Amino acid sequence: MLTGLHKSYGDVHAVAGVDLVIAPGEVVALLGPNGAGKSTTVDMLLGLTRPDAGAVTVFGSAPHDAVATGAIGAMLQGGALLDDATVGETVGMVASLHRKPMPVAEALRRSGIEDLASRRCNKLSGGQKQRARFAVALVSDPDLLVLDEPTAAMDVQSRREFWKSMHGFTSSGRTVLFATHYLEEAETYADRVVLMRAGRIVADGSVAEVTALVSGRVIRAAVPGAAQAALAALPAVTEVELRPTHAAISSSDSDQTLRALLATYPRAHDIEVTAMGLEGAFLSLTSDDSAMVTNGADLS
Amino acid sequence: MSFGYLILEARRAMRNTRFLIFSIAFPVLLFLLYVGLYGQGNKSIIGVLMVNMTGFGALSAALFSGGRVALERSVGWQRQLRLTPLSGSGYLIGKGVIAMLVALPAVILVPLIGAVVEGVSLDAGGWLRVTVGIWLAVIPFALMGLLIGQIGTPDSMQPIMSLAMMGMSLLGGIFIPVDTMPDWLLHIAQVLPSYWLGQVGRGAVTADLTVNLGKAAFVLAAWTVVLGFGVVRRYRRDSARV
Repeated sequence: MLTGLHKSYGDVHAVAGVDLVIAPGEVVALLGPNGAGKSTTVDMLLGLTRPDAGAVTVFGSAPHDAVATGAIGAMLQGGALLDDATVGETVGMVASLHRKPMPVAEALRRSGIEDLASRRCNKLSGGQKQRARFAVALVSDPDLLVLDEPTAAMDVQSRREFWKSMHGFTSSGRTVLFATHYLEEAETYADRVVLMRAGRIVADGSVAEVTALVSGRVIRAAVPGAAQAALAALPAVTEVELRPTHAAISSSDSDQTLRALLATYPRAHDIEVTAMGLEGAFLSLTSDDSAMVTNGADLS
Repeated sequence: MSFGYLILEARRAMRNTRFLIFSIAFPVLLFLLYVGLYGQGNKSIIGVLMVNMTGFGALSAALFSGGRVALERSVGWQRQLRLTPLSGSGYLIGKGVIAMLVALPAVILVPLIGAVVEGVSLDAGGWLRVTVGIWLAVIPFALMGLLIGQIGTPDSMQPIMSLAMMGMSLLGGIFIPVDTMPDWLLHIAQVLPSYWLGQVGRGAVTADLTVNLGKAAFVLAAWTVVLGFGVVRRYRRDSARV
């Protein structure tokens, strides 16, 4: 859907060549640190910003046309609600603009705010506002739902409820693209994870695939008498972090490293081996280590 | 344009009580006050005061109405609307219609009080000019409000709007009737649309210092075109940037 996208603001190259094809029915998480170009990419996808170069097509047409037919629903960052209108009025008005909306009551129910229909938008809590925005995005009954950090300002409970209602939507075969800071959300709810850094996609695949890009595990152990250099010389070790109480050894083959470690330091104890997980992948792929980024891009 | 959108906008306008009181009660009270101070039982003076306060109420209501656009821009409501089938022209026309709607109370109430309480009597054509005529003459002010709302921020709205309103009213012959204006001020006044708005009504109540209705309509139409162009241009640039 997105090909060769570029967008600059002055000297800042916010999006520097993004190619991304999302198939109908996919649930895609867009991850990246602040300033990675997520929001700019989302804006171009929605037709709110015109790319300097490249093309965007949504279900075969330009974003503007897809918006006009109600094929895209979006929940943007920030306010986007009117203080002096009620939730019901706002959702109802947006519904009236679309040709084939879902009933307002249903949009409110699916967003978990049917009891707030007559509440003024300025009287809502942060989490309730997010859900009201979700109802606004949902009411056109779109085929593609784009959510820019949908659960920001939500507490754990509302976040869980939000994703529950989300799940109801995606199980009906709709396409969802969401940008998020919460890796756990991407891990739990997305079929596919797209990692962005400095305006480029650095990794793209299922959670398992992206995690595998940063292959390996971390061994934590108290290793009396160990020196940084000696630990780094163990087989398959990629990185060593030596702390007063323990060492954190990243390894591409933890079995091999662990055997060597125990052979060299029989007094090593309190050993813990953990997978990097998405968080580890996220940190290494989006860190400023450019070698790692090139590596990630090659693998994707 | 969308009917559902208009209804929500109208409801929101009605909900803003402070704004409504300001745009309805203020011109009526000022009218009664001025008649008490300067009316001297002179029907012609009372007529001029009625026209001027009708114009003041209507133009300030229409002008201030557009200021809400600044808030809608800043909270991202405009962006949200751009993700619906509502077109840019639909949005702007809706805003313009609401501005004209909130200008209606002043246009109805002040002449009504002029007729019932102050005994102003005009022929049907005259009443049409001070009501419908002034109401239509407010169109450039609705557009001016929209333009200001698209340029300013919510924080700057209050001072900019007050400045625009006072400038238009004081220099355009609304607060200082053209009869009492020195020549140099009269020259300045003729540059402003508020002068021509006043003239639309003035011709109905006095023959002093009036201009031909057709000329006033022409100047106001020209203002409408220029400001309308500005509003559309600004909206397009805004959409491209955000």
